[in-house]
Amino acid sequence: MATERIAFLTQMVEVFTSTVSFGERLNNLVHLLARYLKVDLALYFGLDKARETLILNLSSQGPVPPHLRVEFPLGQGLVGEVAKTRKFKTAHRDQPGVLAANQALEKLHPAFVTLAGFPVADDNFFYGVLLFADRMERHFTSTERQNTQLVNLMLAGTLRQALLQEEAKKRIAELSVLFEVGKALSSTVELDVLLERVVTTTAKVISARGAALQIIDGVTKEVRVSSQYGEIPMSCPSPTTILATPASPGELPFLQGQETNAAGQIHYFLAVPLTFKGQLQGTICVYDKFATNGGYLPFDPENRQLLYTMAGLIVNAIENALTFKQVETLAEKNERMVRNLTVLQIISRALLITVQEERLQEIILQGLTLEQGLGFDRAVVLLVDEANQTLTGIKGAQRSPNLKNVPLFEALLSPLASELKMEDWQIPLRSDQGPLALTVLQKRPHHVQGAAVKALSRTLPPGFSAPEFFVVPLMAKDRTTGVIMVDNGASGRPLEEEPLHVLQMFSTQAGLVVENAHLYSTIEANNRELLLIRERMLESDRLAALSSLASGMAHEIRNPLVSIGGFARRISKMVEEKSPLRGYVEVIQEEVTRLEKLLREILDFTGENLSFYGDHDLNKLLEDTLLLVQRDLDACRIKVVKDFSPLPRLHCDDRQIKQVFYNLFQNALQAMHGGGVLNIRTYALEREDGLYEAAAIADTGGGIPLEVLHNIFNPFFSTKDYGTGLGLAIAQRIVSRHYGQVEVNNELGKGVTFIVSLPVAKYCLVKEPGHGAAQASTLKAPKGGGR
Amino acid sequence: MKKILVADDEMSIRLLYSEELKEEGYEVYLAANGREALDIVAKVPLDLVILDIKMPEMDGIEALRQIKEKQPDLPVLLSTAYGEYRQDFATWASDEYLVKSSDLDDLKAAVKRYLKD
Repeated sequence: MATERIAFLTQMVEVFTSTVSFGERLNNLVHLLARYLKVDLALYFGLDKARETLILNLSSQGPVPPHLRVEFPLGQGLVGEVAKTRKFKTAHRDQPGVLAANQALEKLHPAFVTLAGFPVADDNFFYGVLLFADRMERHFTSTERQNTQLVNLMLAGTLRQALLQEEAKKRIAELSVLFEVGKALSSTVELDVLLERVVTTTAKVISARGAALQIIDGVTKEVRVSSQYGEIPMSCPSPTTILATPASPGELPFLQGQETNAAGQIHYFLAVPLTFKGQLQGTICVYDKFATNGGYLPFDPENRQLLYTMAGLIVNAIENALTFKQVETLAEKNERMVRNLTVLQIISRALLITVQEERLQEIILQGLTLEQGLGFDRAVVLLVDEANQTLTGIKGAQRSPNLKNVPLFEALLSPLASELKMEDWQIPLRSDQGPLALTVLQKRPHHVQGAAVKALSRTLPPGFSAPEFFVVPLMAKDRTTGVIMVDNGASGRPLEEEPLHVLQMFSTQAGLVVENAHLYSTIEANNRELLLIRERMLESDRLAALSSLASGMAHEIRNPLVSIGGFARRISKMVEEKSPLRGYVEVIQEEVTRLEKLLREILDFTGENLSFYGDHDLNKLLEDTLLLVQRDLDACRIKVVKDFSPLPRLHCDDRQIKQVFYNLFQNALQAMHGGGVLNIRTYALEREDGLYEAAAIADTGGGIPLEVLHNIFNPFFSTKDYGTGLGLAIAQRIVSRHYGQVEVNNELGKGVTFIVSLPVAKYCLVKEPGHGAAQASTLKAPKGGGR
Repeated sequence: MKKILVADDEMSIRLLYSEELKEEGYEVYLAANGREALDIVAKVPLDLVILDIKMPEMDGIEALRQIKEKQPDLPVLLSTAYGEYRQDFATWASDEYLVKSSDLDDLKAAVKRYLKD
């Protein structure tokens, strides 16, 4: 007996340590046991992954054919009972319920009588049940059972090894799949190619019939990119749908399901979300897992796990590709920017060459239209005319084609090949005058397109049309000095935003350059004018010297001439008409008259009647005069209150008007000897005959007694002990010579207000051509106002 | 007979004026400067005064001022070789400002105007 056991155990160890495959080793073990126990049949039922069903895996009679599918749920049949209780158990065919419960076994051993089940388990894991069937009634000795139990341990060990190995193999396979996927995904950064690889690899790895991927903008829900591979039986669910599907706790969100199509065919799908860092969202979806028999299977959790892992890789790869694409776009933009800046730099270098306005405008137009410059088809410069409040067309040009291969700097300085006609192109600077005027008024660039083109076209010269225009202001400090208008009407190329930015940079520079040139030419003109004035002044200095000499002499000559002439006249009256003396005297008379005429001419020329009229500010004249009396006012503690309005310039003899105010101030000073307030107010005055300027000078000197009021404008009338009494008379005389009035507003006990009103220059000129002192010799000076 | 005073430092002018005015039927008094003129104005009840401006000792402007102060209603004509005194407001107190000429018609017309009654 013992030798038999040792032989059995020796065989057992041999089988267990043999290098054959796990499957063969298990088969051998099962055979060994059948032989050792001398039973008809030994079967191994393995517990499935769900640990609910025991499935026939091995038979001592050879491989189990596929149609012989025998299985027992946990707890059913002897196999199920042993699995549940994990204890050895036998059953007899005649025992009640045994046949019914083990009916399935009849397929394998139609005449079984005894059934014996051993649990196959190790310390911590239950693998399945070893079942023995025999046609005889059998009892198992304890040794047999012990030995069987020993084999079962080995069986468990083998099964464990097999499981572990299978697991390892699967992991390796999975890793190699992921490696492949990773390799495929990182091999390119071209987004299109990448997406195609993503779907292809995904489908192949999961062994699906088709795969689809889509990425949407999380905010706008617009599909940004999508890609497909193989058969797509239904649409790809959106990421929002997947994320809205409730997932079990601890599980990542997914969407899995099936659909039956019109032909009755069932299609399966599995979709997981792709989660990006930014606002992008995506879905990767696989369809119909290939079954070995050619049909389709639903996807299992392992597939899902794999799809998740792949989704992570895919997100990374796509993010990389997108970043790359962005970097690439930025690099392109940078390159363009560098080119534009180089162009601008060259143009600015060219603009420094001259300060001539016209030359600068040509360089600007070349820069705008040259292919190697800013490359617009056509450009126009318009400048603001401040005086007329209009925008005036200055110069325009189309591209000079013959300069295509000339270096930019040289080309800029070449003459314009095709200048555009701008004659009389003027646009009033009002907001209803279209985009050109608006650009000036709003000081900002306009991209004129669509309906606005019509409004612009109305302000353009005939034959000037294009589907869109850029209009940018030329700025100098915060003033708009003009506009630049460009279009691509000739080639039909669209105007893009980027060139608009470049154009704006350009216009800032151009604006300054044009303004500088303008200032330069203004300064130049001023210089010329100053030179001219200097020359004239020198000339007039010479003349003045000459004339003062001439006038001195003239006066000395006049007196004797008057005597000579006067007496000659007297003589001629006394000489008889026939006397020869008469002729002589007449000669004297005529010669004197001729000399007197000559004298008048000389004196006219030398400025005896020089007029001192000019345009003056009434407020300024008052201020100047106040300075003269300031000391006296201070001495009398008279406070001066000024209320001056801004006034237009007055055509007057400033010395005389100052005399008027001086006299009125003196009057006030005398009236307020013990202190007071001198109120001076100026204002414009609208009268029937035109516009006047008035100065009201009010004192607080108690007013003028009624009995003398009517005399105040009389010459030499004075209530004071000192002074000539001419003050007010002179004031009135001067004012009337300026066609103005002096009014008196007397408030007895309070004070007096003198109001001097003078017509403004324009009116005065219109009313009396040949105004002023030049006329005084023919004008009878008006008498004092009192008479 | 109306009495006229002619004040001028130039003897030839005094002679010319007095001859011409006498011919017109006026009684003529003569002075060689402003001071002499004032003396005569003080002594004689005159009807009109003709003053030169540039005279030694006292000029016509000062004489005019003093005459007008004392007898504002006595007409005073300024007869001068200078046009520019017209700008001087002190001359405005005169009744007429005449630039000397060998043709005395203007002067005589002015005198007639002031002495017509």
